[in-house]
Amino acid sequence: MAEFLEDPSVLTKDKLKNELTAHNVPLPSGEHKKEVYVQLYLKNLTILNNKKIPPVDTFSSDEELSTPVVSNRSRSGRKATKKTDKPRTEEVEVTELTDEDLKQQLAKHGVDTGPIVASTRKVYEKKLQKLLDEPAAEPGAPTDVTTLPKADSNQNGNTNSDNYSDKEDEEIPAPELEPVPVVEKPTRSRGKAPVTVRTSSRRQTKVVEEVVLEETPKKASKSVVEDILANEISTPTGISATCRRPIRGAAGRPLKPSEYWLDESRVQRTVHTESRTYAEMYSQPSSAVCSSKAPARRGFLSLLLKLLLLVLVCGSLYYAYQNLSSDQVDALKGLLDNVVIPVQSAVETAANYLGFSSSSGSAIVAPDN
Amino acid sequence: RWISDTAMSSTSQKHKEFVAEPMGEKPVMALAGIGEVLGKKLEEHGFDKAYVVLGQFLVLKKDEELFRDWLKDTCGANAKQQRDCYGCLKEWCDAFL
Repeated sequence: MAEFLEDPSVLTKDKLKNELTAHNVPLPSGEHKKEVYVQLYLKNLTILNNKKIPPVDTFSSDEELSTPVVSNRSRSGRKATKKTDKPRTEEVEVTELTDEDLKQQLAKHGVDTGPIVASTRKVYEKKLQKLLDEPAAEPGAPTDVTTLPKADSNQNGNTNSDNYSDKEDEEIPAPELEPVPVVEKPTRSRGKAPVTVRTSSRRQTKVVEEVVLEETPKKASKSVVEDILANEISTPTGISATCRRPIRGAAGRPLKPSEYWLDESRVQRTVHTESRTYAEMYSQPSSAVCSSKAPARRGFLSLLLKLLLLVLVCGSLYYAYQNLSSDQVDALKGLLDNVVIPVQSAVETAANYLGFSSSSGSAIVAPDN
Repeated sequence: RWISDTAMSSTSQKHKEFVAEPMGEKPVMALAGIGEVLGKKLEEHGFDKAYVVLGQFLVLKKDEELFRDWLKDTCGANAKQQRDCYGCLKEWCDAFL
């Protein structure tokens, strides 16, 4: 920094003004007497000289300069007289600043200002005043200022999103976990699709991952290794696959027990070959154990019964065909006739009632041809 | 949505009505936090319609501190009134601006 003049009056008024503006000293608007600029020069720039001079000498010079400083303080209306030992380098009068200067001063403190118009000027002056009242001793002040508008803007922009994100976080785990134990899709892909559709945020994808991992042990995985891996992955997260009976007929689950019956029949058929059954049993631990046991059994039983019935009927017919003598067959035929005739009469009456042609009715009536 | 509702449970009926539609030519007293007394004072300063106050809000770049200071200086609003008015305008801007 250059050495400033102790007696600035040696300079011309223009030179004084130039010096002042060069060192960021705000000039009073309009043309003033040279004395005014001299004073400003002394007040603002000669002070800077004193910084370099050893402290012993500053006392005397401080006395000269402290009075205008004090008067400045009172003029600016600061009630709290903060007696700082360091000489104030920036002694600005906020109300005397031009709009531009006010803006600059605020920008120095990190405040992003809007237009300084008539209605906003006062507010910005107050703000600058507040900032100046908190000297650099509070390093947090400028950062606070910078963060304030930013925080506000963040609030402006993000409160809603925060709300939304909270909402998402809270809402999603609830519905996510609910369908997981309920919905057990036989295919892994089908299980993934509706889950991923619902998800959009990171957390959601995490839940999806958990969901997927949860579902894998339940679903019919192809290989033993996959199943074991899936189990290993899921347990560290604390989510273990609990074997539950899924609701038959719920989304995606086949209503027909035939599917299970087929699986089980397959299992039964492969009982003879140890390796195959071993793999199948492992591959369908859940389907055999956790999946619907009762309905499968019931379906299986009913089908078995039907099959047995059919077999019985066929068997009896075959037996009859083979073993019964012609007499017995005739007797049986007579029995049959005894059954058939009343049936035919009933049919005829029904036809007459309905108004069918009598010729067709008579044809039906006479069976003895 | 229920979270935002609980967070905004402190907003008044006035607030809800104001942010529900474009303000048009609504008087300054339609703003949340601005009652008869404050409304009169604002009108004396030339802020006779809600949109003029909106103008001031926007010129201050929607800054909360500045706007609240301005409100306090102009009509002597207390902290709650400042907060209500700021919140009302902010939400209106979020919805319509």
